[in-house]
Amino acid sequence: MSVPAFFKPIVYSQAVLERTVGWAPLIMALLTVLIVLLRYGFGVGAIMAQEGVLYLHSALFMLGASCTLAADEHVRVDVLYRSFSARKKAWVNAIGHTIFTLPLCAVIALGSAGYVSESWHILESSPEPGGIPAVFLLKSLIPTMAGLLALQALVEIARALHCLTSEVPSNA
Amino acid sequence: MLEGELALAMFAAVCLLLMFGFPVAFTLAGTALGFATIGTLLGAFDPGYLTAITPRIFGVMSNETLVAVPLFVLMGNILERAKIAEDLLTNMARLFGSLPGGLGISVVLVGALLAASTGIVGATVVTMGLLSLPTMLRAGYQPALATGAICATGTLGQIIPPSIALVLLGDVISSAYQQAQLKLGVINTATVSVGDLFVGAIVPGAILVGLYVLYTGLTGLLAPQKAPRATVEPIAAMTLLLGLIPPLALIALVLGSILLGAATPTEAAGVGAVGALILALLRGQMDGSRLADVSRSTLRITSMVFMILIGAAVFSLVFRGFGGDALVEEFLGDLHGGPNGALLLVMVFIFLLGFILDFIEITFVVVPIVGPVLLAMGFDPVWLGIMIALNLQTSFLTPPFGFALFYLRGVAPESVATGDIYRGVVPFILIQLLLLFALWQWPTLVTGLPQALMGKG
Repeated sequence: MSVPAFFKPIVYSQAVLERTVGWAPLIMALLTVLIVLLRYGFGVGAIMAQEGVLYLHSALFMLGASCTLAADEHVRVDVLYRSFSARKKAWVNAIGHTIFTLPLCAVIALGSAGYVSESWHILESSPEPGGIPAVFLLKSLIPTMAGLLALQALVEIARALHCLTSEVPSNA
Repeated sequence: MLEGELALAMFAAVCLLLMFGFPVAFTLAGTALGFATIGTLLGAFDPGYLTAITPRIFGVMSNETLVAVPLFVLMGNILERAKIAEDLLTNMARLFGSLPGGLGISVVLVGALLAASTGIVGATVVTMGLLSLPTMLRAGYQPALATGAICATGTLGQIIPPSIALVLLGDVISSAYQQAQLKLGVINTATVSVGDLFVGAIVPGAILVGLYVLYTGLTGLLAPQKAPRATVEPIAAMTLLLGLIPPLALIALVLGSILLGAATPTEAAGVGAVGALILALLRGQMDGSRLADVSRSTLRITSMVFMILIGAAVFSLVFRGFGGDALVEEFLGDLHGGPNGALLLVMVFIFLLGFILDFIEITFVVVPIVGPVLLAMGFDPVWLGIMIALNLQTSFLTPPFGFALFYLRGVAPESVATGDIYRGVVPFILIQLLLLFALWQWPTLVTGLPQALMGKG
């Protein structure tokens, strides 16, 4: 599980991120109940709250993608993988993150730059009247997700290389 | 022609690369990007297609239907952690305790209720996996039977209304039906609605649940070591009722409010999650740190599901960029072998596509191409819709690429081998094929109820 000291801050930040965003599902559920109560109890529509749920939902999986990688919970076809040795697994992860995850993050980050900066430029608001006037923040989640995921992929690569270069068999 | 070869090669490559065990989401997207690069260098791919990735991701983010996913996962997580689901299952098992395979039957019934309330394969499989797999394993069930029953029950969300798959399919089938009738020169065109599809799905859905129950019961009868009878201690009727009623009422509330149209699936899921939380608090099974834990685990499961969605979106985009779907359309245009031959070919094709694409993409990419052709051959639109939904459900169950299997693998404990999951779903796949065959032989199983209820022909 060990990583070079250089990566420690990233590992620490991912944990903080997970503890923070980790509350999003619960808040979403409470907010949804509030929306239902408002509509049936008081006949009030709450666009702001509805969009709030959507924002939380987006933030939850966009920001959670890297934490999920840190916890190694992105699902694998593990018919063969589960019987691989620690070294073989390290090879799969080192190569996989280098040729799959990092290029994907680069494409998403670069591809979304114009899309997001355009949205910031006009401070894009909700298409619904009374909605949250911060679509630009929502769209910013796209490059943010790519950045966080790339950082975590670097940590995973470092971890895999550490496992491959150390003499002691690692249980990572 | 190079484009077509690259599209096929990409398809083959991703199947191969997935076997190395690198996360599915990144393998799908990464392979597609690799082929896009090769294609661009060879002049066979327009990199402009890649600019659609950002809007696609934003589309996933702003899809309100999908908001139900984390909420249903949260509900399942809370029910599991507070041992409510375990009690519901054991109480149900007590009801069916005298029957062989009683716990398995309870899982199928609880799962069918849940499937009906979510209608989202990923969420149901994940919820059922968290909810019932530990209980079944503790009771001494063979892992293969336990995981098979859960995967199969989880995919019932495709077919049991109010299924999101049926909503999307209803929309596409409806316009395909219009096109087919115009092609045939019908002026006063008949219509088909999402409601027709819902009603049409009731009988096949009920038969499916019945067959699952029958299979589980027979296994318990003939091979008791695979599905040991739960040790039934005689308990007071009052205790039994008190254990059964609150969670059943919760599920009934969630399901009923969707069926009555009083709430969207998202709202029902949110209310269900908070309801589960209240039940857990009342039972003294929830505190701050456990709640944080439950919410965080919901975060990771949801991220896992959505990264697969994003990865599949990138893959299908590049596949389209290579003209993969045009290739398919051309091929299907030359179909011969009569209507049944064409239908069989299309069904096999959709089944195979179900390995890499989810029902949203298949519904919107494949059905508009093949739908009008098949409907013009005289197939009933409601029947065709149900056949496609049932077929996709089977595809999601089929090793090694069925989506349901990935999702369950993601939440199953280490002690369960992937081979167990693969072996376990085989009997349920056979049941699916049996039902598909029955519906093909006797279409009135689907069309009978809508005709009786709505007087449509």
